[in-house]
Amino acid sequence: MKTPLFGAFQPPHEDERILGSMPRISLKEMQHFRESEPVDYCIVGVGSAGGVLCQRLAKAGFKVVGLEAGPFWDTERDWVSDEKGSHKLYWTDLRITGGEDPLALGENNSGKGVGGGSVHWAAFAPRFHPSDFRVYTDDGVGSDWPISYEDVKPYYELLEREMPVAGPAHFPWGDPHGYPYGPHPVGEVGNVLIKGCTKLGIPVVAGGPIAILSGSRGDRPHCIYRGYCIQGCKVGAKASTLITHVPEALRYGVEIRDRSMAFRISTGRKTRVNGVLYYDDEGREHFQRAKAVIVSGYAIETPRLLLNSACPGHEAGLANASDSVGRYLMAQAGNVLLGRFSELIRMYKTPPAHSMTEHFYETDPDRGFARGFAIQTVAPLPIAFAKQMMKAKGAWGWGMRRVLMDYNHWATLGVLGEILPWPENRVQLAEEKDQFGIPVASVTFTLHDNDKKLIEFGKKTVMEVMRAAGAEEVVQESRYAHLVGAARMGSDPATSVVDRFGRTHDVSNLFICDGSTLPTQGSANPGLTIQALAARTADYLISQGEKIFSSEERDMTPPPVRRKLAVAGTFVHGIPRLWN
Amino acid sequence: MTDTGSITENWLRDSRTRRPLAPVQQPGYYPGYDVMGQKAFWDAATRRVIEERLYKIPQIRFFDESELPTITAVSNRIVPQDDRTPERRIPIVPFIDDRLYRNQIDGYRFADMPSDQEAYRLGIRAIDETARAIHCMPFGDLDPLKQDFILKSIHEEKRLAAHAVWQKMSIARFWYLLVGDCVGVYYAHPWAWNEIGFGGPAYPRAYTRLEGGLPEPWEVDEQRYAWEAPSNSISDLYDTHKGTGNISEQEVTD
Amino acid sequence: MNRALATIDQHIKEGRFQRSLALVAATSSFVSGLEVSYEHYKGSYSNPVMYSPVALSGLLTATALAGFFKKSAAEGPLRWIAAITLADGLIGFGFHIRGIRRKPGGWRLPLTNIVMGPPIFAPLLFGTAAYLAFIASYLRREGDHKHESEIRYCGWRGELREGRFQKHLCGVAAAWTLFSGVEAWYSHFKSRFRIWAQWTPVILAPIQFGACIGGIFNSRVARRMLPASSAVATANGAVGFFYHARGIARRPGAMRHWLYNLLYGPPIFAPLLFSACGALGLLACLLRRESRD
Repeated sequence: MKTPLFGAFQPPHEDERILGSMPRISLKEMQHFRESEPVDYCIVGVGSAGGVLCQRLAKAGFKVVGLEAGPFWDTERDWVSDEKGSHKLYWTDLRITGGEDPLALGENNSGKGVGGGSVHWAAFAPRFHPSDFRVYTDDGVGSDWPISYEDVKPYYELLEREMPVAGPAHFPWGDPHGYPYGPHPVGEVGNVLIKGCTKLGIPVVAGGPIAILSGSRGDRPHCIYRGYCIQGCKVGAKASTLITHVPEALRYGVEIRDRSMAFRISTGRKTRVNGVLYYDDEGREHFQRAKAVIVSGYAIETPRLLLNSACPGHEAGLANASDSVGRYLMAQAGNVLLGRFSELIRMYKTPPAHSMTEHFYETDPDRGFARGFAIQTVAPLPIAFAKQMMKAKGAWGWGMRRVLMDYNHWATLGVLGEILPWPENRVQLAEEKDQFGIPVASVTFTLHDNDKKLIEFGKKTVMEVMRAAGAEEVVQESRYAHLVGAARMGSDPATSVVDRFGRTHDVSNLFICDGSTLPTQGSANPGLTIQALAARTADYLISQGEKIFSSEERDMTPPPVRRKLAVAGTFVHGIPRLWN
Repeated sequence: MTDTGSITENWLRDSRTRRPLAPVQQPGYYPGYDVMGQKAFWDAATRRVIEERLYKIPQIRFFDESELPTITAVSNRIVPQDDRTPERRIPIVPFIDDRLYRNQIDGYRFADMPSDQEAYRLGIRAIDETARAIHCMPFGDLDPLKQDFILKSIHEEKRLAAHAVWQKMSIARFWYLLVGDCVGVYYAHPWAWNEIGFGGPAYPRAYTRLEGGLPEPWEVDEQRYAWEAPSNSISDLYDTHKGTGNISEQEVTD
Repeated sequence: MNRALATIDQHIKEGRFQRSLALVAATSSFVSGLEVSYEHYKGSYSNPVMYSPVALSGLLTATALAGFFKKSAAEGPLRWIAAITLADGLIGFGFHIRGIRRKPGGWRLPLTNIVMGPPIFAPLLFGTAAYLAFIASYLRREGDHKHESEIRYCGWRGELREGRFQKHLCGVAAAWTLFSGVEAWYSHFKSRFRIWAQWTPVILAPIQFGACIGGIFNSRVARRMLPASSAVATANGAVGFFYHARGIARRPGAMRHWLYNLLYGPPIFAPLLFSACGALGLLACLLRRESRD
C-alpha cells in the first residue's frame, strides 16, 4: 500500500482542541475569572501535580485558576512525530548549571505546557518503597520523610487506576502489588533485559509498570507501539495530566491560563500570600488574586519562583526562613549502557519504557554503599543515540557514521540510581535574566562518595546483564535522570520548607505540591509519586475547606481518601486488584 | 568543501579488496529504503515539518563571511559525507546557523561556558588560529587529514594553540556542543534515517513487528557491506574511556 | 474395535450423539473461555463488557457438561445459554470491528490495525463454538431408544435431530475455517512467516474452506475431498500446537515468566482451534445429508 485507504492523512478540520487521536475538548466554555476577584486557589504550573490538583479541587467545588508558562497543547496540530521537532515540549529557557558534576539540564528535564513533565516522560510509573520514607532511620543517610508509605499507599492505588498504570500481575519489590491494566508486549530491548537478568538469576518484570494503556479506555486508544513517548503521545495512550485530569478539571470549572509566566508570588498581610503576578504572552503584567497559592513548578522553577518572591519579612526568599529553599536538590543517576548485538534489535519500536527490575533497589551492606538502583529499558531515537555515542565511544566523523549505520544492532539499558540529598546541591538565582527579565535559576550539583560508589556498582551490574544477554560490545554514557527536591517536606521548620501536607512552614496559605517536596528519591521514577502526593494534598485542602483561606491554624489531621473525586470512570475500567 | 569529483582518496574503501567505493546516493545497509515514501501514512503536521526540513534550507544569518568557510569545513569533517553523491549530502551548517540566529537553546548553559552563540564564535576562532599556528593557513584551506588532526586535538582536550580562547570556555564542552549540534542536524534528516534503517515518523501508522528486529512490510532487510574510512581521515577511531564520566559531562533525562 | 467404530458411525448417522457433542462443546467452550480470558486480560478488561464472554463460557461449559449427564440440561438450559453465548460472540465481533476502527488510522490502515487491534474473528470463533452446543441441544442421545421423547421437530431442526445435517455442518465448518484461517494468516504475517511451517495453515485453510463449501453443494466432495482435507487440517493444528508450545518455551525468561510468555508468545490454543475446523469437517463427512425438500 502506497497510502492509507482514501489517501494520505490530512490535517483535522474541527474547531475543537485535540488531545490524542480521539479525545476532543472545547475551551469555549472555559471559565474566566476576574483577576480582581480572589479565586480560591491559584496553582502555578499545570503539570503532573498541577493537573491533578486542578481536577480534584475544581471537582470539589473550589474556584481554581491554573497558570502555565507553556501552551495548552493541541496534540494533533502542535506535536510532531519527530525528535528534532519536539524541542518546544521541554523547558528550554536559560538556566545556569555548575558544581563539580554539573547537570546538563537538557531537553528531557522539565516540560513546558499543560501536562508539564507528564507530556514527555517515558511513563515508567513504579511506586516508592516503604524504605524510601525512612532512609535516615534505616541507613543513616539522607533524611526521613514526615509521612510513611502507608500514608501514600491509598493514593498510589488510586492513581494507578486513574492514569492507569499497566504492568505485571505481580510486582514483587517494595510493597508487592499488582496492576489494574495488563502488561504490554515488550520490544527487543526488553528481551535483552529479560534474557540477561534470567541468565544471571535476577528477577525482572516485563511489560511495565508504565502509565500507558494496554487496552483502549473510553476515547483513549491503546498504545500503538511507535516509540515516540518522549516526544509526546499523539495517540493519547500514554497518561499525561493533559489528557487524564485536565479535561475533567475544565468540566468542573477550572480556568487554565496558558502562556502565563508567573514571576512573583505576592504577599499581602505579613504572613499570608494574596495572589500571583505573571506575564502573559505579550509580556503584559497581570495579578491574579487568590485566597491561597499552590506552587507546582517542579524542582527548578518552584524554588526559583520562591526565591524571586523575596520581600520584607522573607528576605531570603518566600517561605525560606529555614534556608532550605533550593537545597537538597536531587537527580537520579541515569547512566546508559549501550550494547551491540549481532542480531538486529531495532530499538525504536515500542515505548522505550517497557521492562525493569528493582532487585538492587534496597541497601545491601555488603556492597559498601547505602541504597541502590533500578535497571530499566531505554531506547534512544537516532539523535539521542548519536549524542550518547559521542560520549560513550568518543565517536565523531567516520566513526560516528559507522556506529550509527549500526543503529539497529544496539540495545540500551539504563541505571536509575538513588543519589542522596545534599544541602550543597541546590538551586539559586543567577545574575542572568530570561526573556521576561526574571533572574534565571542557577543549579549546582556535586556527587558525593556514596553516590559515586553506587553509580560504579550500578554500571558494572548492568554491563554484566548486557553481556549475559549476549552483547558483543558494551559502552557507557554518564547521565542523570529526573530532578526532585529543592523545597523538601519535613516536620522541622528549621530544616524543611513544607510540612507533611505540602503547606509551607512559614506561610499558612502557601503550598508547594510537586517533585520539589520530595526529601529522598529512591530508585523509582517520581512521576507516580508526584501525582499521588498531589491527590493527597488535594484531599487535605478539601478537608480543611475555608480554614485554609482565613485561619492560621494548622490542623494536621490526615484527610480521608476521597475516591469519589477520582476522574469519572476510574473504577469501571481495568482488572480488579488480585494481590493485596 | 572537499571535491570528490576526481579524488578517490576521499572515498570509502571496500574492506576486503581495499578498492575505493564510489559515492552513492544512499549509503548505509538498507539499500532502496526510503522513509519519505511512507509520508502518506504520517499525520499532516509531522509531514509538513519533515518536508520543510528537506526542502527549505535556512539562509545563513548568524555566521559571518569569515566564519562560514571554517564552520563549513569543520562540519564536513565532523559529519563527513564523501560517501554521498554531492546532491544527496545533508546540509548541516544552515541548520546550526538557524538555531543560533533564533536563539533556540537546549535550556541550560554550563557555568564554565559562554552562551552557545559566543561559544561558536570563540570556537571557530580557536580552530582557525590553531590552523594558522600549525600550518599557516586558514582551517578551510587545509587538506582533510590535517583538518582531522586539529579536530582530534580538540576532542582529546589538547590545547594546541589559541590559549586565550580556551581560557574562556571548556574545550570538552565546546566539542560536545559542536558534535552534538552536527549530529543533531544530520540524524534529523530523512536521508540519514534511510541510511541507518530508522522507521521515521510513526503516527497514525506505527509498527506491527516489535520483537526480533524484524522489519515492517515497508522496511528493508539489512544488507551489510564492509567498508573502511578514507585514507585521508582519522576519525574512524573510538575512545571508550571517555564514556566513564571523566569529563564530568552529564545530562538529565526523564 | 470395529464394533465400537460401527456403533459410533451409526449414532452419527442417526443423529444420536448428543452426549458426545455436548462433551465436545464443553471442551471447546472451556478452551475458548481460557483463550478469551487471557486475551481480554491483555486488553486489561478495559471495557466491562469484556467479562461477558468469560462468564458465559464458564456457564456454557458447565451447562454442556450437565448436558452430558442429563438430558433435561441438554435440551433446555443448554439451548438458551448456547444461544446467548452465540449472541455474545456476535456482539463481541461488533466490538472488535469498532475497536479496529477506533485505532489511529482506523480502517484506513486495514492491515496494521487488523494485526495490532483486537483479534477480528476471535469472537466469531467463540460464538461458533457455542453454536456447536446449540446444535447438540437438538440431537438425540446415545443409548436413548427406550426413552425417546415424543418431541418432533420440523425443518432444519428435525434434520438435526435425525442426523441429517451434513450441509449445515459443512457450513459451520466453512465458517470456522475462514475465521481461524484468517487469524492464522495475520498472526503469522506479524512474525513475518519466520518459520516456514507458519505457511501451512495459511495454505490449508483455503483448501479446507473450499472442501467445506463444496461439501454443501456436492455430496461427492463431502464424501471424498472433505475427509482428506479435514484430516490434514486436524493434523496440521496438532503440529502447530507443538510449535506454539515450543515457541513459548523459547521466549526470553522461558518458564520463569510463564504467564507473560503465555500472553505474548504464540497463542497456545490457536492451533487447536484450527484443528477443530478439520475435526468439524471429519464429522460433517460422516453425517447424512439433509433430505431434499
